[in-house]
Amino acid sequence: MGVQPVRRRVAGAIAAVLGAAALTAALVSGASAGPSDQSARGGTYRVGWESSFGWTNSFDPTGEYLANGFVIYQNLMLRTLVQFNHVAGPAGNIPVPDLATSVPKPTNGGKRYTFTLKNGVRWGPPVNRELTSQDVKYAIERLARPKNGAQYGFYFNIIKGLQAYGDGKAKSISGIKTPTSKKIIFDLTAPAGDFPMRLTMGAAAPIPQEVAKCFEGKPGAYGRYVIASGPYMIEGSEDLDISSCGAMKPISGYDGQTKLTLVRNPNYRASTDSRKARENNPDSFEFIVNTNLDDIYDKVGAGELEDEFATASPKVFAEYSRDASKRKYLKSNSADGTYYLTMNLTQPPFDDVHVRRAMNWVMDKQALRKAWGGPIAGEIAQHILPNPMLLGKLNGFQPFKTPGDKGSVAKARAEMKQSKYANSNGVCKAKECKGVLLISDVRAVDKLTLPVIQAAAAKIGITFTVRTVNGAYPVLQTTSKNVPISNRPRWFKDYADPSTFIDPLFFGGNIIPTGNTNYALVGVKASQAKALGLTGNVNNVPSIDGLADECRAKTGNARVTCYAAIDRVLTTQVAPWVPYMWAYTVNIIGPNVTKWTFDQAAGLTGLAHVAVKG
Amino acid sequence: MALYIIRRLLWAAVVILIVLLLTYAVFYLMPAGDPALRFAGKSPTPESLALIRDRLGLDEPWYQQYALFVKNFVTGDEFGWPGLGYSYVSNISVLDEVKERAPRTLLLIAGTATIWLVVGVSIGVLSAIRRRTVVDRLAMGFVLIGISSPVFWLGLIALFIFWNKLGWTGGTGYVPPTESLRGFFSHMILPWCVLALLFAAIYARMTRNTLLETLGEDYIRTARAKGLSERQVIVHHALRASLIPIITMLGMDIALLVGGAIITESVFNIQGLGWLAVRGTLDQDLPVVLGVVMVATIAVVIMNLLVDIAYAFLDPRVRYA
Repeated sequence: MGVQPVRRRVAGAIAAVLGAAALTAALVSGASAGPSDQSARGGTYRVGWESSFGWTNSFDPTGEYLANGFVIYQNLMLRTLVQFNHVAGPAGNIPVPDLATSVPKPTNGGKRYTFTLKNGVRWGPPVNRELTSQDVKYAIERLARPKNGAQYGFYFNIIKGLQAYGDGKAKSISGIKTPTSKKIIFDLTAPAGDFPMRLTMGAAAPIPQEVAKCFEGKPGAYGRYVIASGPYMIEGSEDLDISSCGAMKPISGYDGQTKLTLVRNPNYRASTDSRKARENNPDSFEFIVNTNLDDIYDKVGAGELEDEFATASPKVFAEYSRDASKRKYLKSNSADGTYYLTMNLTQPPFDDVHVRRAMNWVMDKQALRKAWGGPIAGEIAQHILPNPMLLGKLNGFQPFKTPGDKGSVAKARAEMKQSKYANSNGVCKAKECKGVLLISDVRAVDKLTLPVIQAAAAKIGITFTVRTVNGAYPVLQTTSKNVPISNRPRWFKDYADPSTFIDPLFFGGNIIPTGNTNYALVGVKASQAKALGLTGNVNNVPSIDGLADECRAKTGNARVTCYAAIDRVLTTQVAPWVPYMWAYTVNIIGPNVTKWTFDQAAGLTGLAHVAVKG
Repeated sequence: MALYIIRRLLWAAVVILIVLLLTYAVFYLMPAGDPALRFAGKSPTPESLALIRDRLGLDEPWYQQYALFVKNFVTGDEFGWPGLGYSYVSNISVLDEVKERAPRTLLLIAGTATIWLVVGVSIGVLSAIRRRTVVDRLAMGFVLIGISSPVFWLGLIALFIFWNKLGWTGGTGYVPPTESLRGFFSHMILPWCVLALLFAAIYARMTRNTLLETLGEDYIRTARAKGLSERQVIVHHALRASLIPIITMLGMDIALLVGGAIITESVFNIQGLGWLAVRGTLDQDLPVVLGVVMVATIAVVIMNLLVDIAYAFLDPRVRYA
């Protein structure tokens, strides 16, 4: 998921800093509560959705990877063994039991998790029966079968026998046992302290086989037939004929393209749930696609919509942050995501840690953030993982902190003096620093950050050849492109565990030729170079693989402490990134909203707790 | 005439095939990347990418994909005829998506064309027969404003005034006439008028120019010399001849709007074929892009044909053998 300025008179600078701090404090403090804190049952909570739903798997939970999809499943439609309370701040990142009676401690050396399901949880219409451990097992089996298009099935490969089952070498997953209809046991191939959190994701939500079997091998097709286990279901679910696959017609409340309507699930029993997790105040939810972004915000302002899944323009931010009467409708919360420049550890001049550190010292993070809209867009990132994800363990850790976060040429050059590429003045004169390829995207904001990056790097003698492409990720994700640096990346957690940053972004063993997300190639080995098509310096690339292996097995506080240590190492000793902003999620809500909260785990509105005038 | 139409239809098929071939080539020669990555999550494996490419048919060379698309189009596929495949993103048959979106665009075009034709031609005629008068100057002022105003700006201003402030019309969105006729007109009146303004201005200027040119022809002088009333001269002789270039342009403009009313559809949240095309392009959803291109191409071909046929009725000199 960027800031800037110039040296002026001291008084002006202080005033600006205080002003920004006050604004930021005012905004971020709006994490929970709304225009008034009264809850009220009833009414329809209407959400404007920008441009198109943009699903990654047509709303089929097995593969759907869109954050908006996650928040709808987790807050409203689907219950999972473990879930979050859908509230703001670190408390919202702590797993709590949902279908399970408790969040179990692992046994068998951290490799076994045993869950007991609550009684009385029933599927919504038209399935209507009691939900069992078999339904959980079926969901995991479904995602294990490659033809069903699971998009984050890798999180579950740690279940013993899942890979063999997916490869067709076993008839069942040996690591899943369901001794009773209310008990399910997971055996893992290695300790994974975050396993309960992995089970909070939509793909792990139980699925009724009697419906989903009709969509075997058709990724996404189940998306228009999703059966609810949570407090809300797709409108018209009761009319779905499940007597045969041929009889099934898409549920009427979701047209697949422009509107999704959820109504109360008559089979939901609040007694089986926690009010801390779900209050279920509105009678219905409507998610409505609108191609006119301004119109979405006009309608929110006019009370014709309650909320938005959209990207507000700086004009909207300014309107709501400057007008005191409107400020209460502006909500800004940490999205647990980092915006950064990535540097390829195999490509000169970034194969030299001193150059990478110098880039961290010289970069004007303030200006980069301004390109994204200023303080309202996020907090200046001082290291890699957002602080809420480390439960505050690295608060105050600011190894490249400079006055006003504008960068320091003196410190950058001091660092550069240690580089093989630089002269005694700390400026790179080597040919490796001239015309370095920088991949950028056509998005307007990427273009705005380019001059900032170019100006900063020039101070230590690095110049760029910028190549702007429409869709930079596919280029970055192809290792044979050997991209030295890019300003495109940003990363958000999948669930509230630091491993969702460390493993995909820095673990050497996860580097693949296409679709690679470890853009910096941290931990790549010389033996991988040929297969990956690497052309740069692949010898002695720093690795954190050993540290990551250690952290993965830990649980609780020890786990977070372990990942905080990796962040320290990465930020200071490896320096593969210039992290410049920890993004906020900004919501504008309507005047009819009587209760609003932020779901820290999902990074969006806590739909489970909102209320609207009936 | 029948032979002529058959020959034109055969050529139309060739044109459609060439346009589709170009669309395929553009999609594959200037890609934003591998479309399979769009559906593979944040950490895809080579195996998962291969499976997706296989499922979407992206593992075949583009020309084979093209041949398969043409075959399915001609013979139909599991979703009916013509076979347009299914959207990678929504998992819905493209044919169904086009059927769902096309009425919105067609109704937008129908209303808009009616307004621009009536307003544009009327102003053009008035301006021509009242040449160099205040009426003419006012009419040409209207033309200047109409041509100069960007549709997105005009749309936002119109929404602000007539919906937001005055509350005279419905806001954005589309209400099917089958659901509420009042709602339909209330929501469509602004997009009709906004989109029509540009075209009306162009048509007014064109009508004025061609009519002035025609009024200078010898046969008009002859008609007047025969004692016909000025009304008869203008309506039955001058205007009829002046309509030929207007009809030509009308056909082309209507056809182009089938896939080209993107800005109006976006501003007024109509979600017609233009929206579908934009969505398909941004999502690298090739079947959707192809579906819209196909519809738009067919519209251009059909409108061209209708225009040519109309010539035969409007211009006595035109006869198709």
